[in-house]
Amino acid sequence: MTGLEHATLGVLLLIGLIIGPVLVYIERARRDRNLYVRRLPGVDAIDEAAGRSAEIGKPLVFTSGLTSIGPILYACLGVLFYVARKAARYKLRLLAPQCDPTVMAVIEETVRDAYRSEGRLAFFDPQSIRFLSDEQFAFAAGYMGLVQREQIAAAFLFGSFAAESLLLAEAGQQVGAMQVAATTSPEQVAFFICSCDYTLIGEELFGASAYLSREPVQLGSLYGQDRAKLVFMVLIVIGVLIATWNQSLAPYFWGPGAGLIPDVMYWLHYELWAT
Amino acid sequence: MNYRFRLIRIFTFLGGIYFFLQYVLPAKLGPFTFGKYHEEISNGFILMGAMAVGLGLINLLMVHGSRLVFRRTGWVNSAALLLAMALMIVITAADWLRTQKIAAQAAGLDMLAQFSRRISSDYQSQRTDVLPFWERNRLLLEAGSSQLAVVYESLEAAANLAGRSTDPALKTRLSAGLQETAAHLKETESLLKELELESSTASSMSPNEDLARALGRLQVSWRELLGLQYASSITRKVYDFLYQGLFMSLGAAMFALLGFYIASAAYRAFRLRSAESGLMMAAALVVMLGQIPLGVWIWYGFPELRLWLLQIPSTAASRAIEMGAAIAGLVMAFRMWLSIEPESFR
Repeated sequence: MTGLEHATLGVLLLIGLIIGPVLVYIERARRDRNLYVRRLPGVDAIDEAAGRSAEIGKPLVFTSGLTSIGPILYACLGVLFYVARKAARYKLRLLAPQCDPTVMAVIEETVRDAYRSEGRLAFFDPQSIRFLSDEQFAFAAGYMGLVQREQIAAAFLFGSFAAESLLLAEAGQQVGAMQVAATTSPEQVAFFICSCDYTLIGEELFGASAYLSREPVQLGSLYGQDRAKLVFMVLIVIGVLIATWNQSLAPYFWGPGAGLIPDVMYWLHYELWAT
Repeated sequence: MNYRFRLIRIFTFLGGIYFFLQYVLPAKLGPFTFGKYHEEISNGFILMGAMAVGLGLINLLMVHGSRLVFRRTGWVNSAALLLAMALMIVITAADWLRTQKIAAQAAGLDMLAQFSRRISSDYQSQRTDVLPFWERNRLLLEAGSSQLAVVYESLEAAANLAGRSTDPALKTRLSAGLQETAAHLKETESLLKELELESSTASSMSPNEDLARALGRLQVSWRELLGLQYASSITRKVYDFLYQGLFMSLGAAMFALLGFYIASAAYRAFRLRSAESGLMMAAALVVMLGQIPLGVWIWYGFPELRLWLLQIPSTAASRAIEMGAAIAGLVMAFRMWLSIEPESFR
């Protein structure tokens, strides 16, 4: 692999192992849309939250927090699209406070598309997509004020969050809003679990959109990435076994084959991974 | 498929493949140099980001401007926000212009230093396509004299300010800055006079080298002095009050609220409602006891148990979450790159 600077054979192999199953399962999902996806209570709660908002006549809030343009935002858009469709169908007010102007443009377009797909574009209010501030705590202060003033019925906190996560979630908690949160940041998961009614952890954020839309591409991706994870799990187990053998057991064995595992490990590490 | 979507698809694919190859391939591969226009491309992204800031500004003006115009509920808050925004824009622009001016003034001395150094190096490399060194030295003397006159003027202004100032700390700093700059100015002046201005066949060029170094020192001390003068101006004081005094303090206050919210969230989380919450409470109790001296007094094993809980089960769970999210993110990125997207996003 002469000439490559960062990619090694091992890295390319791993990318192949992740992407390969995804492509296979997307194709399979196109043929069979009834692929099973386990229920996520947090995702089921989205309908409940929309219903509650319709009952009490108060708005819904969807925020993607500090998420910038990237895969996490894209995963959130699927859920936003679903929530916005519900809002359009039941004539609910959907507020989407923003802290990143580029994300705001994407969010506005997604909500507009959702209203259009429900045939209710006239009900779409561009001012419901509000830019608050690109400063973390100024955004949090703006969000808390908005939640208090509007006395929201439900809040969806999907995306990347940092220290402001608890401020946002507690603001919803104080007005008695039903809250569903989803983040890939392990540090913030604990805060959301404490303050929200439902929390999607890590990759569940990516699965939510597939679960809601049952689109073949998203379903296939979900299936494919699960298989890819399986490959990683097997690799981790093999790695643990090899490391355990080398460090704890190999010194007690002699004879032919005793040096085989260290050799394999050396090859994996220096020849395949770092080539 | 409409043209808009096709265009987005093409740009996404090209952008994706460029960044992938730029990362993977070496800087130079045969006749191709992949990173050649990387800076320009990155600047393009910065430009797009800057344009997006304009979007945010327009959104704020529309939301709060309409509320103000039609006197809707909360219009006073909107008025305060717009007023604060306008004030901050004006003050920040004034601050930026002033700091730019200071930088430009100081850059004049730096240019002279470079010119002086260049005269010396050109003479030593025996360049023939430039003016002879003594003529260039005359030009340097002319430009240097007028530049030093500007420095003199600012020294007088700084001395006046130091005389008027009631702030002892600022007074001391200004006096020290004045002394240092005046000393460098004197040194530079005398070196300017030592420049060789007559035609000659042999020269050591040492006055030029010395002058370049002296100009460098003068530039640093003068810039500091100009900065000190600016720090006592009304613009800077208003800027500091708005940014450091208000904005930063309000941000810190928001952060401080977290302490109270953590307590209330923890209270809700630790109510024993199920076996899971019981387990969580037990783990939290061990972690807390392992953190405080009282825990060690109860049982000496708490700190070790706390460490085990944090390093083994907690880290394992955290890594599992991160790994799952990373794989899902990679797949999502791949889908974005190839525009393999569901109908709803087209």
